Amino acid sequence: MRIHVPKEWALPQSAATSEADYTRSSRREFLKAMGVAAAGTAFLPSTVRAATSGFPAPDNPDYPAGALKITPFSLVSSYNNFYEFGLDKGDPVVEANKGWKTEPWTVEIAGMVANPGKWDVEDLVKKMGGIEQRVYRHRCVEAWSMVIPWDGFPLAKLVDMAAPTAQAKYLRFTSFMDPKSASGQRGADDMGWPYVEGLHINEARNELAMIATGIFGKPIPNQNGAPLRLVTPWKYGFKGIKSIVRIEFTDQRPLNTWQRLAPNEYGFFANVNPAVDHPRWSQASERVIGGGFFSGRQPTLLYNGYEKQVAELYKGIDPHRLY
Amino acid sequence: MLPGLWPAWPLLRQDPTVLADPGKYLLHHSGFVACVLLATVLALTPLRILFPHSRVALALNRHRRTIGVSAFAYAVIHLTFQFLHESGWPTFFVDMRKPFLLSGMGAFIILAALAATSFNAAVRWLGGRRWKNLHRLAYVAAGLAAYHQAAARKLFPVQVLWIFVPLAALEVARMIKKALPAPPLHDSRRGS
Repeated sequence: MRIHVPKEWALPQSAATSEADYTRSSRREFLKAMGVAAAGTAFLPSTVRAATSGFPAPDNPDYPAGALKITPFSLVSSYNNFYEFGLDKGDPVVEANKGWKTEPWTVEIAGMVANPGKWDVEDLVKKMGGIEQRVYRHRCVEAWSMVIPWDGFPLAKLVDMAAPTAQAKYLRFTSFMDPKSASGQRGADDMGWPYVEGLHINEARNELAMIATGIFGKPIPNQNGAPLRLVTPWKYGFKGIKSIVRIEFTDQRPLNTWQRLAPNEYGFFANVNPAVDHPRWSQASERVIGGGFFSGRQPTLLYNGYEKQVAELYKGIDPHRLY
Repeated sequence: MLPGLWPAWPLLRQDPTVLADPGKYLLHHSGFVACVLLATVLALTPLRILFPHSRVALALNRHRRTIGVSAFAYAVIHLTFQFLHESGWPTFFVDMRKPFLLSGMGAFIILAALAATSFNAAVRWLGGRRWKNLHRLAYVAAGLAAYHQAAARKLFPVQVLWIFVPLAALEVARMIKKALPAPPLHDSRRGS
């Protein structure tokens, strides 16, 4: 019997790009999905030009994969709710890569802060001291879930840098507005753009809240919210506003987009709680994306399993007000 | 049953939306097909009334039973996926308090009753008039199904309009035609 001894330099099979990703319809599509800037700009062969620096990011040992099964990149980057680019989950991977430019990108920090300003996202990442990788669970309000390795920096660092004044109680995030590039933002499909989300400042300072600029150790694809997005793993996924252009510190609770559209179904806090149902479906369990046809559902965890880190934020509040 | 093959195509194409959550895709698709079949079978009678001389309309009307029972068959598939892949069975009684799910169940029960009485012996057993009245519940089922489908996504899905507005238009046209005075009888024995 011939025993195969892998060479020292050989990468494990799992490191290879999946065939589905590699044989995507055109090389341009593939590169776009990998996060390279729009066509027409020169790029060095064999180098993927990063939208922001710091890749590959070091792992944060507090947030390892552990027993979690990471959802394949091909699904994370092609099963997206990003209504600016269409209402079907397969729309954003196509529509968001048809020339929408997410580089260069400016983020404005404004409102009740000592250090307002406009930041090029590249400079912002450098100012935050680079990025790290954390593996988080992701739970959509539609009762499906993923496990995603996010690359980014803690939102708390940004809050500290901005130096909010004593009156600032909330952060109000605004997403991009570009009807020319985003067909969902034109006319008939208008659900009132741009997308707005918010956090209480104590939530923003929580160790879990993160601004992600990448996934799987690569710059974040357009359809996942390039070049930077919010990640709050203890809340339903719609709180994770994508493609942020403005972060405003305010004393008024922001009216987030989904609460504005359907206040009896979506609230401000959107904390994951299996005991608080959506009016139309149960939140007690979730379907794991990529689990295949025969996988069952798994029970949903309170705060998506992050009770230890966030429960004290909500002590004494009726959970039915935290939907 | 050709509609049965149609859901298979995206599976073969390795569509990521389908691969991500195949159970959900099949749930939505079977529900969609059930709605289309239900709207189709209800559209046949107005088509016959509006176009009494059309051979196509008359031919289609002979298949009302097949199409109607197929609608029920897809509703069964849809409910099976609801119980298997969604939380359906364990949370059944809680779910029935939700209008979205209750409307679907209501439509299903009606379709079940209609399918159970769809064969010839049932017509004889119930008697023509009772059978006809029972099967008029199909319109109620369509209304419940339209509501159920409209409530199924985060935002209102336009496909509900595509399925049910043509049916509504046909029904309105049929009622108008019936309300109009009858055209004079053509008596070929009269001299010119």
